[in-house]
Amino acid sequence: MRTEGLTKTYDKSSVATHALRGVSLEIPQGAFCCITGPSGHGKSTLLHLLGTLDKPTEGSVFIDGKNTSELNEGELATLRAEKIGFVFQFFNLLQSLTAVENIEVAMMFGKRSPKEQRAQAEKLLDMVGLLDKAHAKPSELSGGQQQRVSIARALANNPSILLMDEPTGNLDSESGEEVMSHIFKIHRMGKTVVIVTHNDELAQKAEILLEIYDGRLKSC
Amino acid sequence: MNILKLVIKNITRRRGRFIFTLLGITIGMAAFVALLSLGGNMRAEVTRQAHAMGASLIVTPKNWCAYDQISILTGNALPESLQLEVYEAVAAIEGITAVPYLTQKTAVQNNPVTVTGILPAEMKEFMSWEVAKGDYFSSVDERAIVLGYGIAERFELDLKDSIRIQGEEFPIKAILAQTGSNDDVSIFLPLAVVQEVFEVEGYISYIAAQVADLSKLEFYEAAIIEVANVSVTSDRQLLSAVLSMLGSVNMTLQLIAGVALIAAAFGIINTMMTAIYERRREIGILRAIGAKGSSIFKIFVLESGLYGLLGGLLGVVLGLAVSALVAPLIAESSFNDLLKGAQIEVSLDPGIIALSIIFALVISVASGLYPAWKASRLTPVEAISYE
Repeated sequence: MRTEGLTKTYDKSSVATHALRGVSLEIPQGAFCCITGPSGHGKSTLLHLLGTLDKPTEGSVFIDGKNTSELNEGELATLRAEKIGFVFQFFNLLQSLTAVENIEVAMMFGKRSPKEQRAQAEKLLDMVGLLDKAHAKPSELSGGQQQRVSIARALANNPSILLMDEPTGNLDSESGEEVMSHIFKIHRMGKTVVIVTHNDELAQKAEILLEIYDGRLKSC
Repeated sequence: MNILKLVIKNITRRRGRFIFTLLGITIGMAAFVALLSLGGNMRAEVTRQAHAMGASLIVTPKNWCAYDQISILTGNALPESLQLEVYEAVAAIEGITAVPYLTQKTAVQNNPVTVTGILPAEMKEFMSWEVAKGDYFSSVDERAIVLGYGIAERFELDLKDSIRIQGEEFPIKAILAQTGSNDDVSIFLPLAVVQEVFEVEGYISYIAAQVADLSKLEFYEAAIIEVANVSVTSDRQLLSAVLSMLGSVNMTLQLIAGVALIAAAFGIINTMMTAIYERRREIGILRAIGAKGSSIFKIFVLESGLYGLLGGLLGVVLGLAVSALVAPLIAESSFNDLLKGAQIEVSLDPGIIALSIIFALVISVASGLYPAWKASRLTPVEAISYE
């Protein structure tokens, strides 16, 4: 995964806001990369652009050598479904669904049958140690448990890249450590992991540490 | 997991809103179905009454309006506007069999009822009446009553009873067998007696005529007009005039139901728009995990379509139930001239049912299109970043 001159400018108000100013980087396959930096300096914007959730004002994101700027909305959705898994700070589980259903939703847009979806969802819940909570609604789970479900959901389609936005940012230290252990486990599975974090412990373990300051890459 | 399952889970999670939105479309549909069903039955009933009238031509004064013509069909009292000589002239035309009607109003147990003056023998033959109880008139000036079947039933009157008309007691001499026409809801007396009691000697209200050859209706019409300064209407013209009036009434009622449905449609739009604002984040999550804009569009259209399907089904059931409850009240209402004494029944017309459900579905899907389009246009990042 790499970027070339990635720029994002928001000009909805009269004053243009430069969230990212020409970021070029490369994250090799299977790398463990952390993005740090002060709040509001462009970390999440970079993560959203890497995950094709947003479009850059200038520059490009390349995934598996493919320039994502050349893909249409449908192709980008397919790319996200097949190659990228997301984990968010606030878990973002669908409240009306149970843990197992939240994982199945991620497979809904693919070709798996309901039976295969259920088998895969249960396997992933087992991996994050929550098989016994398969039929619990998010409101019945602790923050740490919800985040583990969202990690399982991110892995549902067996993506090669995992993008995480402050995955431990909303958890107590004990839950945070448990979530981190799962993140390391995922990395050991050979997946590329990119994490936006303020967690020093997590950042220290990174193979690639990127610091974003004022929309620019400070060091690599 | 599939989209339909997700939609059902989403809808049922917000139970209160789900029920109230559903009620909106259900009530709109129920009003639509009830009015459509009642209207269809009214049409059928008027057609049946017209056929039971047994006349091909109706002779009326020249200045009568459409309302008067409807009254002929409903058996209501009409002004005494033709001279008896007109009847004699019409009856004398070869190939025409005619009977005069003199209709007046009286009350039985404080309910308005039509008194019809007839020529006993001619009328019995003309209408092929059969007597269920008692003996039919034996003379043209007998001071007694022959009662329609429906009146006897409704007011529980029998041969031993009498009815007071204009201060005079008239014994009930006979009760007619059921005819299915307005004859069932009238009191019959000899023409001469009605003319005397209501002080309209020498007058009748209108004339009903049968012709020997139905293919020459126009010829007979011309023949009648030649002998008297009157207006002649065929039963078909009368029926189509009444049906067109009924059509206008039905159209108005259905428009009202349509307004209720449009209000329900806006209810759906409102619910869906609120759902989109509330579920922005959810849309963002779905987009992030690979949902295309078209999938989001499908989810929201399906959601509003489900309201239509459920609302349509419930509305049809409720509408038919309401019309079943209301139909007898309409038939009994003394204000409703058109259906007085009619046997209105609620018919389970599969066409109306299917059409109503499809209509509800189309309206709700159409209501969901704009919100669904708005939802599908949200970029993943603006949806996911929504707090």
